[in-house]
Amino acid sequence: MALLGMRGLSVFISDVRNCQNKEQERLRIDKELGNIRTRFKNEKGLTPNEKKKYVWKMLYIYMLGYDVDFGHMEALSLISAPKYPEKQVGYIVTSCLLNESHEFLRMVINTVRNDIIGRNETFQCLALTMVGNIGGKEFAESLAPDVQRLLISSSCRPLVRKKAALCLLRLYRKNPDVVNIDGWSDRMSQLLDERDLGVLTSVMSLFVALVSNNNEAYWNCLPKCAKILERLARNQDIPQEYTYYGIPSPWLQVKTMKALQYFPTVEDPNTRRALFEVLQRILMGTDVVKNVNKNNASHAVLFEALALVMHLDAEKEMMSQCVALLGKFIAVREPNIRYLGLENMTRMLLITDVQDLIKRHQAQIVTSLKDPDISIRRRALDLLYGMCDVTNAKDIVEELLQYLSTADFVMREELALKAAILAEKFAPDLSWYVDVILQLIDKAGDFVSDDIWYRVVQFVTNNEDLQPYAAAKAREYLDKPALHETMVKVSAYILGEYSHLLARRPGCNPKEIFTIINEKLPTVSKPTVAILLSTYAKILMHTEPSDPELQEQIWAIFRKYESYIDVEIQQRAVEYFVLSRKGAALADVLAEMPKFPERQSALLKKAEDAEVDTAEQSAIKLRSQQQTSNALVVTDQQPVNGPLPINQLGLVRIPSQKMEASSHNQGLTKENGAVSKVDPEPAPSADFLGDLLGPLAIEGPPAATVSAEQNMISGLEATPNAADALALATVGDQSNSVQPIVNIAERFHALCLKDSGVLYEDPYMQIGIKSEWRAHHGHLVLFLGNKNTSPLLSVRAVILPPTHLKVELSLVPETIPPRAQVQCPLEVVNLRASRDIAVLDFSYKFGTTVVSVKLRLPAVLNKFLQPKSVSAEEFFPQWKSLSGPPLKLQEVVRVVKPMSLPEMTNLFTSLHLGVIPGLDTNSNNLVSCTGFYSESTRAMLCLIRVETDPSDRTQLRITIASGDPTLTFELKEFIKEHLINIPTPTPAPAPSPALAAAALQPQSPITRAGYTDPGVMLAGLL
Amino acid sequence: MIRAVIVMNTQGKPRLVKFYDFQPPEKQQELIRSVYGVLSERADNVSNFVEADAIFGPGTQLVYKHFATLYFVFVFDSAENELAMLDLIQVFVETLDRCFKNVCELDIVFNFNKMHMLLDEIIFGGQVLETSSEQVLKAVEEISKLEKSSSAISLVPKSVSARFGR
Repeated sequence: MALLGMRGLSVFISDVRNCQNKEQERLRIDKELGNIRTRFKNEKGLTPNEKKKYVWKMLYIYMLGYDVDFGHMEALSLISAPKYPEKQVGYIVTSCLLNESHEFLRMVINTVRNDIIGRNETFQCLALTMVGNIGGKEFAESLAPDVQRLLISSSCRPLVRKKAALCLLRLYRKNPDVVNIDGWSDRMSQLLDERDLGVLTSVMSLFVALVSNNNEAYWNCLPKCAKILERLARNQDIPQEYTYYGIPSPWLQVKTMKALQYFPTVEDPNTRRALFEVLQRILMGTDVVKNVNKNNASHAVLFEALALVMHLDAEKEMMSQCVALLGKFIAVREPNIRYLGLENMTRMLLITDVQDLIKRHQAQIVTSLKDPDISIRRRALDLLYGMCDVTNAKDIVEELLQYLSTADFVMREELALKAAILAEKFAPDLSWYVDVILQLIDKAGDFVSDDIWYRVVQFVTNNEDLQPYAAAKAREYLDKPALHETMVKVSAYILGEYSHLLARRPGCNPKEIFTIINEKLPTVSKPTVAILLSTYAKILMHTEPSDPELQEQIWAIFRKYESYIDVEIQQRAVEYFVLSRKGAALADVLAEMPKFPERQSALLKKAEDAEVDTAEQSAIKLRSQQQTSNALVVTDQQPVNGPLPINQLGLVRIPSQKMEASSHNQGLTKENGAVSKVDPEPAPSADFLGDLLGPLAIEGPPAATVSAEQNMISGLEATPNAADALALATVGDQSNSVQPIVNIAERFHALCLKDSGVLYEDPYMQIGIKSEWRAHHGHLVLFLGNKNTSPLLSVRAVILPPTHLKVELSLVPETIPPRAQVQCPLEVVNLRASRDIAVLDFSYKFGTTVVSVKLRLPAVLNKFLQPKSVSAEEFFPQWKSLSGPPLKLQEVVRVVKPMSLPEMTNLFTSLHLGVIPGLDTNSNNLVSCTGFYSESTRAMLCLIRVETDPSDRTQLRITIASGDPTLTFELKEFIKEHLINIPTPTPAPAPSPALAAAALQPQSPITRAGYTDPGVMLAGLL
Repeated sequence: MIRAVIVMNTQGKPRLVKFYDFQPPEKQQELIRSVYGVLSERADNVSNFVEADAIFGPGTQLVYKHFATLYFVFVFDSAENELAMLDLIQVFVETLDRCFKNVCELDIVFNFNKMHMLLDEIIFGGQVLETSSEQVLKAVEEISKLEKSSSAISLVPKSVSARFGR
């Protein structure tokens, strides 16, 4: 009889299962949905039990993939039911159906809270589970303290406490402020003493989340972690139910070792010794056995131990042992272990000095490329890619090429790209590189992206020695049957440019070349036709003495395409036809392509872009990123230039070097985004230059005018900006003959609001900046890029810091090699609040020109701010306790840039002043809260209130409160600078006496004047 | 963090679906389909790992176990240990087995509500909650007692699920 209650559910599931096809299933489901809807509509006759049944049905339907867009309220209402079964359904179904931002959730917050603080443990568990599974911001704000209380309560059962720990973890992810670091390191340390393994496992997960954010605060917990590992791995001191296939809780062991990987080192010798002893035991004591589950469990621990050793073993005592183990693993029968062996070897490549050890296993890794499991094949490919260097590039790339013809389709594109990149990066000689790419196109043309063949063309164009070889190779391939279209493109291009270098070889006279290329014409697509037309024009030009028969054949083709529907092709045909009748002038226009400017390989860039980080970074990745902070010289890298635009491969050369210049401009536009107005639509204009200007040029003057105009436009646009920028930004000598080509003031202001970008650029060099800010520390990297083909000499960079900043710049090399970029790390420590600005005094010599500039560094006040979101209960007591000057200052600000409240909110947010909506009941006001970090104040809370007048947007009243008078004053002035219409120049590197005095005496006349202002009356009071 | 738990049969029909970061229903189905597409092509004697970047975004991994007519799939990010996740699937399945006495697909179909309860005792908000199947069963029994005392059934007995299955 008891079955009756849910019988309907079973019948329904059974009905759905018995449906013969999707259509029947849909009909049955629609019928049920209709039924549920009507039952919900007249809720009066509905018993709680029935309601429960319908809500379960909804979840079942939802799981099958049907949208259930009603009934959420009914599910939610069950949460408030008094009896357990209904409540349970309400909680479970709500946590599946609703997402954290669903407005309905707000309605149950109180019920949920009552369940959490109530006495009923099963209700507590249900409520915690839903909050933990949904994890919304609002839950975080209103429930975190209660959840925390459950976790540390001694009267709660483990069942509740372990859920509380994970619930808190989820809320912490949503809002890190729910865990106050000060008290937590001690509390955490106590929690790690927990004996109950269930609770300890959850607590460890929480601990991992906390240390991953801030390891410094939890040093005291390090020995505890080592103890736990000893307890599990060495003493095996745990209840039977927590050993899994004979292994003491592998999950807890793994989590503990994960936590340890977030600490940079283990300094305490005792802890370190204990830890290494345990690790050694794990590494040595694990064997591959018959039972799969036991294997999995023991190796879960082993692989985590390996990761921890890689992290901690700075002396590399155990590293060779680790590599040997991995070498063993990649050859075992068990596929999971092979997979992880390869994966961990790849991770190990990030550690210096072990590459040679890994290379010993190259043969086995290559064998893994043929593993029956595609997951393993992928890992092997990643590893080969990672371990490739000049010594083994030839072997590895040839293996990859060989594998290409048998590889899975899903892997071919990646494989082709990786082979191309390796060939480019590590080519022992360039003819080998050309061979590899042509083979690649031949074997897997469909999977070779355009970037790959553009790149080979660039190399051939820039290396004269390579040209005859490449042309001969291209000619060979044309003899093959069923040629891939990409191969037609690249061969046609290369032969158009360089086939004349082969003229004496058999089968290579212009006519023969033309004939063999022209065979492909009927079968190729439009973009290739365009390339072929250019090739024909080039062949015609290179034919000396001219061959009337060939000429007639080619002209016939040009004429045929003169009325072609595709504009690009039509245009080429028309132009080439006219041009080729000009005789000698043709040679001027169609001369050999100039060398391409050096640029970062589009392929390498693509590979870098693909490496996106996940939100929760693994410790090893974090470390490998930190390792790049030393000054280093990267040649052959020019981030200013974007990827190669396709049209640059047009075969037409422009008289003069205009093309190169334009490509530079284009790069700039891309880099600077909105700032540069030189060239609003870069791509079409390059096309314009490439294809139109060329032909026009032979007519003489018109082209010159056009390019001159282009010059004038860019000149006009750039110069006033530059002058303006100089007036505002540079402090000392203005005698430079070299003018910056970006607006320095604008760049500076932009960088005050964001963390990376270009700080300065002139025709010879570019200075980029990238910064990271953490509390009162700043880590900046200056990227000094030489844009030329000759070196920049006597490079000098000095920082003139204001008194409130401690700045350390690493050594700047005296010379920057051609087209190289030098990175110089810069460390900043903020001592106290001030609006003064550090200045970079920078100079270098290019030829005989000395360029010297002084640039403001964007290490400004707001970089040391971190927005805080506080609740009304926290805000108002603070606000009241800071009662008046000098801690709380108020001022009426005039001549404000008129902006709407959302605009102002944006401005505040970008200044790291966290705006808290809804705190002020008056919708014309804006309240914000931020933490300021400096060495003298440490973390200091700042509260800001802005009252605006909707009828006059040019004035407002601002009130600022903090625990430090200097900070209050400086912050007020700082915000004013950003609100007022005129950008205020603050060039002085050292604080002027007047300012310092003002800081000490915050009741300045201006402020006082504000109080008697009618605007104050208008704005009302707080 | 564990992003999702999916149990589906070898025809691709979902039997239990739980996402720990919310996905709209259409997206859920799309993901389930993609996962099925990958798994159905895998042979038996290969590893239990599949790179899930293409389906769930960068850095995600997927482990699965294949039992009779069912796939058990966990999706997670780089902060978790692959083999530990595989062990957790084993714990989940062993717990089901003890709970239903030789679990089969039908048990899971007809007790999908019970599956949610069990899962909630093992994984919580994308984190490992409990790894001892004894503890999990204890918790579930407590719940069942509560349900019974409120005169409701929590588990469809085998005889019944078999009858409906036919």
